[in-house]
Amino acid sequence: MAVQLTSEPNAPAPPPDPGRRRFAVRVAGRQLLALPGVGWTVLFFLAPMALLLVYSFGSVNLLTLHVEFGWTLSNYTQIGQALYLQPIVRSLALSAAATLACLLIGFPVAYTIARASGRRQALLLLGVMIPFWTSFVVRTYGIYDVIADNGPIYSILHSLGIVHGYIHVLFTQYGVGIGVVYTYLPLMILPLFVSLERIDPSLLEAAGDLGATSARTLRRVILPLAVPGIIAGTILVAIPATGEYVIPQILGGDTTLLFGNVVSDQFEDIGNYPAGAAMAIALTAVLLIVLMFLRSRSYKAEAAVA
Amino acid sequence: MKLRLPRPTSVFTGIVMICLYLPIIAVVVYSLDKSADLIGWTGFTTHWYSVAFHDPEVRRDLLTSLEVASASTVISLTIAVCAGLWTRGASPRARRIFDGLTYSRIVLPEIVFALGLLILFSKLHIGYGVWAIVAGHVVFNSAYATIIIQARLASLSSTLEEAAADLGANRWRVFRRITFPLLVPAVLVAALLAISFSFDDVIVSQFLGGTSAEPISVLLLGMIRLHVTPEVNAIGTALMLITLVSFSTAGLITVLRPTGAGHLLALGRRAAE
Repeated sequence: MAVQLTSEPNAPAPPPDPGRRRFAVRVAGRQLLALPGVGWTVLFFLAPMALLLVYSFGSVNLLTLHVEFGWTLSNYTQIGQALYLQPIVRSLALSAAATLACLLIGFPVAYTIARASGRRQALLLLGVMIPFWTSFVVRTYGIYDVIADNGPIYSILHSLGIVHGYIHVLFTQYGVGIGVVYTYLPLMILPLFVSLERIDPSLLEAAGDLGATSARTLRRVILPLAVPGIIAGTILVAIPATGEYVIPQILGGDTTLLFGNVVSDQFEDIGNYPAGAAMAIALTAVLLIVLMFLRSRSYKAEAAVA
Repeated sequence: MKLRLPRPTSVFTGIVMICLYLPIIAVVVYSLDKSADLIGWTGFTTHWYSVAFHDPEVRRDLLTSLEVASASTVISLTIAVCAGLWTRGASPRARRIFDGLTYSRIVLPEIVFALGLLILFSKLHIGYGVWAIVAGHVVFNSAYATIIIQARLASLSSTLEEAAADLGANRWRVFRRITFPLLVPAVLVAALLAISFSFDDVIVSQFLGGTSAEPISVLLLGMIRLHVTPEVNAIGTALMLITLVSFSTAGLITVLRPTGAGHLLALGRRAAE
């Protein structure tokens, strides 16, 4: 990598002879600055990913846990089995539903913040960000406290007579869904806010003056201009939500496992590294495809807005 | 400016805000509640804090977290400052590749590269522990730090540095006397973020700690999964304070002095994870 980085196509023309060597040394010295970052990435990010890829084509003796390397695709075809397919489908469905929920909840909030004036706007933004800054595990545990079978929400609903008997949310996929939406909502609100704030208020006034109803203004003016924000928010919510590992552990009990949990089980409990590696690679591939699709849409949307 | 602002959206925003704080308030309230079951308010006590404080496991894991956080922060910042300086003279093509590497460290699910590192360390017979966790934390912490430092450097004009060079300062002196002092606020913000992410991380910490090192976040997750006691709420409140204080300080520095953190804010995070 370092070699490639040194061959700068745009490097300025070398000065005449005496300075030439010193210049070359200086350029090489400059490039050394990339080394710590590139080195760490190669050693502790790219190499592990490459190892996963190699492992995913190997096979394991489940008695001795000895891994044999080879070119078998069985680890990948195995993912198609219901046992593994179910958590994958569940992860994708949950991620899609949570992203949609974040969008529906986040849009009015982002709109309100974008239309608020100076100080109020700063306070509201801070209000959205503070929960996001507090410890992730603890926040998720706080949801556990709140949605527990005899927790405060239940008590309120019960004393108001809205709910009779028990409702179980904790340790179901709805509990996990609530956790995911709660955790990632700020990541949807922020980019939505950025794109909504950029909208010139005179555009909305013009739409109103020309007789458009609020609903029509929303649909024909605000929404199209918010598309880049919607896509950015979707990337920030959907990608990590699909790979979510901690929230189902706390809020899902042992019943609502997601893809990330099944992958780690292959490593921790079963010891089938090749199968786990194949799942991890498949997860990464799916996410990369989603990411690239969203990125290309986002470039188009940016171009359309500009 | 004033539009026909549909009032319902303001009301809705208020409700969402309350919901955002409900779990946090619940943890704090339960940590101060006398009763050991989460059945409602039975009286004020700081008993659970002293239980947590005197728990040898909690103390040991807190120290482990501190070690991991400080080591990964120092390494991440070194990487980020070098990367930032390199970026200024890099060709657009090299820069694109470099940035791709930076962003992919943030975007790809942590669980994937954590498992890759698990295999790597067992293959190399390095074993797990504090340094294995540090290696993993630096992967994402250095990425966030790099983005912040790059953004700050991009907003700096090079006139001061050129002037210093013209007056005969060598490159190291220019860096030490001009560039670095201008970078200090951004470095501080990046450090505070790195410390928070390190303290907060579960996945890398859990997989790479092995039997010898357990950070506080992993202990907490284990306690939550096995037996729920008010002690958990007390540790949780303390942990929230640590992350909240460092994030707010970072925010304050950003407001007072220009750093690249605004750029990161627009990018968002998982972060968290």
